[in-house]
Amino acid sequence: MKDSAAVDQSNSSRRAAGVVFGLLLPILIVNIIAFVVPVLNLAAMSFRSATAIGSLDEALTLSTWQSLLGDTFYWSILWRTVWMGALITAVTLLLSYPLALFVSRRSGWVKTVLVVACISPLLISAVVRTYGWMVILGNQGFLPALIRASGFTPPRLINNEFGVLVGMTEILMPYMILSLLSGFGRLDPILDQAAETLGARPLTVLRRIVLPLSLPGILLGCLLCFVLAVSSFITPKMLAGGRVSLLATEIYDQAIVTLNWPLAACLSVFILFVFGAALLAYGQLSKIVD
Amino acid sequence: MYLKVESLEKRYGHLVPVSGLSFSLGQGELLGLLGPSGCGKTTTLRMISGLIHATSGKIIVGGHDVTHLPTYRRNMGVMFQSYALFPHMTIAENVAFGLEMRKLSKADIAQRVSSALSMVRLPALGNRKPLQLSGGQQQRVALARALVIEPDILLLDEPLSNLDAKLRDEMRNEIREIQQRLRMTTVFVTHDQTEAMAICDRIVVMNRGKLEQIGTPHEIYERPSTPMVADFVGRINRIRCRWRDDGAIAFGHTAIGAVSTGPAGSEVLVMVRPHRIELRSAGAKAGRAEGENTIPGTVRQVTYIGDSLQYAVESEGEKIMVEQATTSAGDTYKPGDAVTLNWRARDTLTFAAEADV
Amino acid sequence: MLGSFLRSLQFLGLAAILLFLLAPVILVFPISFSADAYVAWPPSGWSTRWYGELLKNEELTEAFSNSLVLAIYVTILTLLIATPAALVLARNTFAGRSALVSLFTSPLLLPSIVLGLAILVIFVGYGLVGSWTGMIIGHLVITLPYALRVLMTGLSTLPPFVEDAAGTLGAGPFAVFRRITLPLIAPALVASAALSFIVSFDETVISLFIAGTRLKLLPVSLYHYVESRTDPLIAAVSALMVLGILVLVIVIERAIGLRKAVAK
Repeated sequence: MKDSAAVDQSNSSRRAAGVVFGLLLPILIVNIIAFVVPVLNLAAMSFRSATAIGSLDEALTLSTWQSLLGDTFYWSILWRTVWMGALITAVTLLLSYPLALFVSRRSGWVKTVLVVACISPLLISAVVRTYGWMVILGNQGFLPALIRASGFTPPRLINNEFGVLVGMTEILMPYMILSLLSGFGRLDPILDQAAETLGARPLTVLRRIVLPLSLPGILLGCLLCFVLAVSSFITPKMLAGGRVSLLATEIYDQAIVTLNWPLAACLSVFILFVFGAALLAYGQLSKIVD
Repeated sequence: MYLKVESLEKRYGHLVPVSGLSFSLGQGELLGLLGPSGCGKTTTLRMISGLIHATSGKIIVGGHDVTHLPTYRRNMGVMFQSYALFPHMTIAENVAFGLEMRKLSKADIAQRVSSALSMVRLPALGNRKPLQLSGGQQQRVALARALVIEPDILLLDEPLSNLDAKLRDEMRNEIREIQQRLRMTTVFVTHDQTEAMAICDRIVVMNRGKLEQIGTPHEIYERPSTPMVADFVGRINRIRCRWRDDGAIAFGHTAIGAVSTGPAGSEVLVMVRPHRIELRSAGAKAGRAEGENTIPGTVRQVTYIGDSLQYAVESEGEKIMVEQATTSAGDTYKPGDAVTLNWRARDTLTFAAEADV
Repeated sequence: MLGSFLRSLQFLGLAAILLFLLAPVILVFPISFSADAYVAWPPSGWSTRWYGELLKNEELTEAFSNSLVLAIYVTILTLLIATPAALVLARNTFAGRSALVSLFTSPLLLPSIVLGLAILVIFVGYGLVGSWTGMIIGHLVITLPYALRVLMTGLSTLPPFVEDAAGTLGAGPFAVFRRITLPLIAPALVASAALSFIVSFDETVISLFIAGTRLKLLPVSLYHYVESRTDPLIAAVSALMVLGILVLVIVIERAIGLRKAVAK
């Protein structure tokens, strides 16, 4: 009697485990064939080399890595990618912070409208928004026309690093604002009032109360924007007109134009290293903040 | 016996929230599962309802072993602490849900839903949504929903803990009244000993996953079988003493009598409820009744709480709490007064000192 | 005086930042009504010719309908795959559960340029590049993590014990899911569907890698068009897409907002 009950129970728990596995199977299959296998394969690809006619050499080799690491051209791309990423992140933060702070202090429908206005650009294709910047910054565009109308000769605003900076900043602002708003969540306006009753002026309140408490949100936003800036491809490609080489654009060129997959794979691993470094820095900084 | 629980056990790895639990109750009986939080009472209830599976042991309802039946085949009405009303359905739909699962005809369902709602005195609220109702109303709906399926057993999980004090007494009596009218076999989980005493036919006191005592409210209160039970069901003094060789207990220089005796010289835990002790002035020449204990003491602290006066009395270096009902006469003692503490020998509870934890 | 001056300065600054954020989206509207043959400000005249051109442009109309069909397929499959997975992952505790959640959401952590390349390299070998199957799988990899997250959050905010309560009233596992769980996570389902649709419809980088030359998709065709020409045709497309997204957002807000109102 007792044994049959035990068997019964182990049967039913085995059946339950079967159901669990069955329900997870579809997502597992998609994840394996379009994520796990491709990514592992790509990592392996970086240890192959391309032959002159664009096909792959069968043998495993370090030669692609050697040519990548030995070429100052790629180091300069890496350097440009990192500092452009940092610059874009800094400008994004500078523009987003006041706006996010303002939005977080509103309430009711005003807040809803402002939040929607700040976040909704996320839903619009990066191609469309970047095209908008081509319309604004292009040589026949809105801004040069404005400058010309006021009697100056407009500088070149597009197909250079400035164009990329402006476009990327606008593309990334919603992400930064979202992170900052989530960080402001724990910032109770009552703290401001408390500080003011203690005799602090508005700027002092900002420096001593608001800024320190919103640091976690700032760090998170910066991590997110830096990582996205480093890996973005559409906007830099469209606004740089092929004149600013970054890691992401170089990966695309090597993969699609030159068909040198091993090199593109190496550059991908390169980008992941930058990611890892950013995450590490974020972890260290968050520890200091806490 | 209608519901029988036999050596029930639940194990999660090293954690054993319930073990070796056996009790039974007859048709129409209301049994309380009482204990501090984490004692395993809710786990027991969830095992009876089938929401979690027992690791070992048996649950038998009306002669049928239901231990391995899934919840939805057990026909038990459960009322949850948070009520767990379906927020997307109206009150009537909530109550009808169990009947729909039993594939009753529409007319039948409508008729039974309306009589169930009248029974809990909410006949007019069928079209509201649960969140539009007050806590007490939500609870009545939950009760109606659990009863309308005519369950074999009704299981109540801390049903009154989310209500304010006044409503709680009212609902308590209402639940008891309906339960007796329907002669519904019921298990009632609570951590509140007053609640359990007030409505249960019998009470199971649980502690650390095990049964401490099972008995009527009177037995549990007057004859607790462990210090834990004595402590849990009401306020009580605890004093460590030793047995004398004449069968009395040595309390300093005085002897205290109890119902039972123990081996001379061994340690004993004496427990007396504060309101069973009477204070008298030290000089008063009250005739000492047969079987009454009297010890001298000095009042140290007096607290007035309206219904009663609480005295902290020092006697033989021990602090003893005494509680006396207030009277309009207002003859009270002051700190420093010399008094005697008097109580009946049969109100002296004694436990082996090892049982004290 | 100085205070109010500073305050109006502050408002001006904030308005300027907001304008910067919305400028590219706003400016495509006037440009889309330009009568010129190329993008120039100010336009020499106004017309609706580029909307007419758009309807005549076979590549873009084909790409639009392909993207629409693809997004619908991807959305339906995402819900069918993510809902059971979310149920299992939110309702059970088993060894490796959190590892699985991390695995299923980690495609979002990878730069899409790397993911796109990785998928391309594998799909080439199986002839999946430029196929509907390949495209759908490629999009599912990024829509599933979003949907999984939203649905798991939705499940975790369910009122406690309502599913248990239904069980005690005699509802079997499937009846509990259909009558209790499903209606209560409807807002999360709508949100995941909308998110999956938008992500799939907008996805550019992965599509760029695996759409090949045969399968035309809107973001890819737009990207290639902008690369080669600078007429206001794309402004017309952009204006329509912005309007479409706007309508979608309002519909979702109404749908979820209404549900919230009903529940309260």
